[in-house]
Amino acid sequence: MINLQNIHITFNAGTILENRAIRDVTLTVPEGQFLTIIGSNGAGKSTLLGAVSGEAPVSGGKVGIDGVDVTKWPVHKRARFAARVFQNPLAGTCATLSIEENMALAYKRGKKRGWSLALSGSRKEIFRERIAILGLGLEDRLSDSIGLLSGGQRQAVSLIMATLSDSHLLLLDEHTAALDPRMAAFVLELTNKVVKEFSLTVMMVTHSMKDALASGDRTIMLHQGEIVLDVDGEERDKLDVPHLLEMFNRVRKEELADDSLLLG
Amino acid sequence: MSLFAFLGTIEIGLIYGLVALGVYLTFRILDFPDLTVDGSFPMGGAIAATAIIAGINPWLATLLAILGGSMCGLITAFLAVRCGILHLLASILTMIAAFSINIRIMGRPNVALLGEPTIFTPFEQSGFDQLHVHLAIVFLLVLFSSLFIIRLLTSDFGLGLRATGVNDRMVAAQGGNIGFFTYFGLALSNGFVGFAGALFAQSNSFADVTSGVGTIVVGLAAVILGQTLMSGTRIWVAVLAVIVGSILYRLAVAFALSSGMFGMQASDLNLITAALVAIALIAPKMKGKIRIKAVKV
Repeated sequence: MINLQNIHITFNAGTILENRAIRDVTLTVPEGQFLTIIGSNGAGKSTLLGAVSGEAPVSGGKVGIDGVDVTKWPVHKRARFAARVFQNPLAGTCATLSIEENMALAYKRGKKRGWSLALSGSRKEIFRERIAILGLGLEDRLSDSIGLLSGGQRQAVSLIMATLSDSHLLLLDEHTAALDPRMAAFVLELTNKVVKEFSLTVMMVTHSMKDALASGDRTIMLHQGEIVLDVDGEERDKLDVPHLLEMFNRVRKEELADDSLLLG
Repeated sequence: MSLFAFLGTIEIGLIYGLVALGVYLTFRILDFPDLTVDGSFPMGGAIAATAIIAGINPWLATLLAILGGSMCGLITAFLAVRCGILHLLASILTMIAAFSINIRIMGRPNVALLGEPTIFTPFEQSGFDQLHVHLAIVFLLVLFSSLFIIRLLTSDFGLGLRATGVNDRMVAAQGGNIGFFTYFGLALSNGFVGFAGALFAQSNSFADVTSGVGTIVVGLAAVILGQTLMSGTRIWVAVLAVIVGSILYRLAVAFALSSGMFGMQASDLNLITAALVAIALIAPKMKGKIRIKAVKV
């Protein structure tokens, strides 16, 4: 469970570049919920994920994960609670290590890394089994450098890596945005499959309104660092992309009016 | 080159193989260009020599030298990680500070170890030839050190260390503490360099504060030379390449200086080193170019 309480995140506070990325956001994501987050560029979507992962330290409010107050914890300490997949396929894996070595790194996420061999026979067996879920034939290429894989394949492996440790929280930061449409669809389908199979709690940031509605069971929309829409259940089932777009435009009306003044 | 000179060159190559291992850990594994070695190498010699003269057991003295080297590494890591000083600059600061400290340790710029017991003494007294004894012991110590590094880098901890130099954001996301890996890597690296300094001092019966000048270049030459000749992603290949590189580098230098046909003298050592490193750096690119040309034709 994720508990964000009156979160404020301000970049470059007190300077001319001050940017209040998140303004007084309170959000609870209960165990087992798949939350999708949409919003325009600069709305604070990724920053909100950063508040949970620790990459964006909060300037006010409290961050709780599984009932633990982690507000002051550094990124690496919070890793025991949550697995992450980044937008950039290169960011989530280590290019010079092999596929199985990357998996071994993820296998020990949030645990003590000791002297034991990273690639024991029994571990390799687990990795082989898990990566076979992908159906990409990677189980026979475990010792290949992960740098040889395409971006989509690397995202797929990152998702599998997220399941290797025993936490149940998954943070997805536009993880399909850098992929071609076919691969993006594959990775999204895989995401749904993995989330169901390992009953994960998910926060997924996406640019695609279609994906945001098609996946998961709750959607929030951010605008200028605030939650402007929060739908789930029946209300969300009835929503479609044109509806959502309309809502999106309604929130942006003021801004658009300003723009038209400027542009006019 | 006489057999005597040849074996001596191999021995020096092996001792500097430990330096190369340290440089491999920082430059290649951690992606942390660390010039501390120019200070930790003579510090290893200074501590070992001073301790032996004070009557401490040579093995214990060597252990102290390793710890001294590690301390240098920790200071560099502290300056870089905790104080946010650029890694190259942080290591240079430790390096120049170590110069003064080394003179303090010895009480003067150099000390002789003639007639003092060393880790080699017990074996020399058993009647074997001195050079053979040195070579055998140094070989075993380098072998154990290499096996230790290989085992470390294939462990869970070592994997985190290796990933730190490539993708630190990912390591943090997987729960690895980047700062700790940097501290550990630098301490280990400079521990090996201090070890090499202690062996060098005991083998040559002196410790000199200026013996550290250019250590980094020699270590780097070994790493680059070795890995150019023996490429491969497997850890044991990389570690073996580094040791082989160190020996080959010494042989190349000894050959260039001793053959007389190039008209070289001892003071040309730095020029030869620079040329060797440059060639080793250019060679892989040339290989690629030639292959591309061959394909075009």
